[in-house]
Amino acid sequence: MIKLDSVNKYFGSHHVLKDVSLTVAPGEVVVIIGPSGSGKSTLLRCINYLEEIQKGRIAIEGRPIGLIEKNGKPTDMPQKDINAMRAQVGMVFQNFNLFPHKTVEENIIMALITIKKLKKQEALEEAHHLLKKVGLLDKAKAFPDNLSGGQKQRVAIARALAMKPKVMLFDEPTSALDPELVGEVLSVMKELAGEGMTMVVVTHEMGFAREVAHRVVVMDDGKLIEEGSPAKIFFDPDNPRTRSFLKKVLEH
Amino acid sequence: MQLNFLVLFEGNNMSFLVRGLWVTISMTFLALILSSAIGLIIGLGRMSKNKVVSGVCSAYLAWFRGTPLLVQLMILYYGLAIGMQIDLSASMAGVLGLGMYSGSYVSEIVRGAIQSIDRGQMEAGRSLGMSHWQTMFKVILPQAVRRMLPPLGNEFIALTKNSSLLSVITVSELMREANLIVSSNFRYFEIYIGVAVMYFIVNSSISQGINFLERKLNVEGR
Ligand SMILES: Nc1ncnc2c1ncn2[C@@H]1O[C@H](COP(=O)(O)OP(=O)(O)OP(=O)(O)O)[C@@H](O)[C@H]1O
Ligand SMILES: [Mg+2]
Repeated sequence: MIKLDSVNKYFGSHHVLKDVSLTVAPGEVVVIIGPSGSGKSTLLRCINYLEEIQKGRIAIEGRPIGLIEKNGKPTDMPQKDINAMRAQVGMVFQNFNLFPHKTVEENIIMALITIKKLKKQEALEEAHHLLKKVGLLDKAKAFPDNLSGGQKQRVAIARALAMKPKVMLFDEPTSALDPELVGEVLSVMKELAGEGMTMVVVTHEMGFAREVAHRVVVMDDGKLIEEGSPAKIFFDPDNPRTRSFLKKVLEH
Repeated sequence: MQLNFLVLFEGNNMSFLVRGLWVTISMTFLALILSSAIGLIIGLGRMSKNKVVSGVCSAYLAWFRGTPLLVQLMILYYGLAIGMQIDLSASMAGVLGLGMYSGSYVSEIVRGAIQSIDRGQMEAGRSLGMSHWQTMFKVILPQAVRRMLPPLGNEFIALTKNSSLLSVITVSELMREANLIVSSNFRYFEIYIGVAVMYFIVNSSISQGINFLERKLNVEGR
């Protein structure tokens, strides 16, 4: 479903992703963990090409995104094609990034109307269906500022799902939430995973990782240092850096 | 000479002034439309990744902000006519001059407001598959417009005041009408006080209008 092949990313001279290779199978839930600044967000953002990469290959369902070979030279793909590929990858951000000037349902239908050219009525039906799924049908006409953090994140998930993505990327979706609101977001994510959605999740919620992840990937300093089943990574990691990272996280 | 404000109403004085005021308002209004369009284009252009586009827009800003409006008006009206045989009517030169000058300031207002919108908004739009421009027009600009209103209000007040310079290129706006009246009756104080009050009333109305818009936009969502 997703295939990263020796991806390298620089911010100026700062080498942020170093030869990262990762394959995610259809229906698989991969959790990425690692210390702050290790490049987890950057990795996710490269997958839907919100960030350009300088070397390597990224493909979604076998179709390359972003950097492609043209006459043997790496070239950036036309924006139009990148946009179309992005529509198939849903992304959920730590800070929700809902559109504050639009109501909840307008947030969800915007891309449906703009890109999928749905009629407003059809789009609204889809939006209401998704809002029901995340348990927020009664908030359809509310503005984001009048929602709690957990509600905002559930709307953001519904908004991403509206495009019927093949993959969902989550970048610390619960880190900005009050502890009592984390559960409602995680349970929506669990439900999604249960339905067979392919998901890549950056999170510090080790409980979620243990329960839902098929595979856990550990990043450190721009590299994937270890991957394996949750049981393996959490209880019997090989890499000493994984061990010291987990020790720090679990102490909290 | 005794002060006598009734001279404002002597003969046709008041009807000349009101006619001038009307010209001032319509010139300012047309210039405002031009200025907004130019401001939007130059403001967006300055943020373009294309070096040529952003360079041209920056040069525009530097030139029109860095030279006096009066000089620009003289170039447009007298300079073009004599130097290049491009004979603009006085009001055409006036609207163009005011609009281009004010557009440079508006471009900075546009750019500032757009850049004040959280980067995450653009990313959210892009991650849904919308293009840069779709996101700009549906997500960023509607939010930025709210932040532009107060500085735009100031800019449009400045535009109204600056329109008095059009008297120099023979546009018969308020200031020129006043000059003509004064040149025959020498009632500098009364006439110019009257004119000042007229400008003041127009600008107060603009302030009120902007306040009203701001409140209205704040009620509708956020
Ligand atoms: N836009 C940017 N410009 C320059 N450097 C950046 C940019 N974004 C991230 N970086 C740098 O890249 C490195 C990786 O950042 P990234 O945000 O991917 O880390 P992370 O693993 O997500 O960390 P965290 O857990 O704190 O979210 C960091 O050193 C960061 O300072
Ligand atoms: Mg991060």
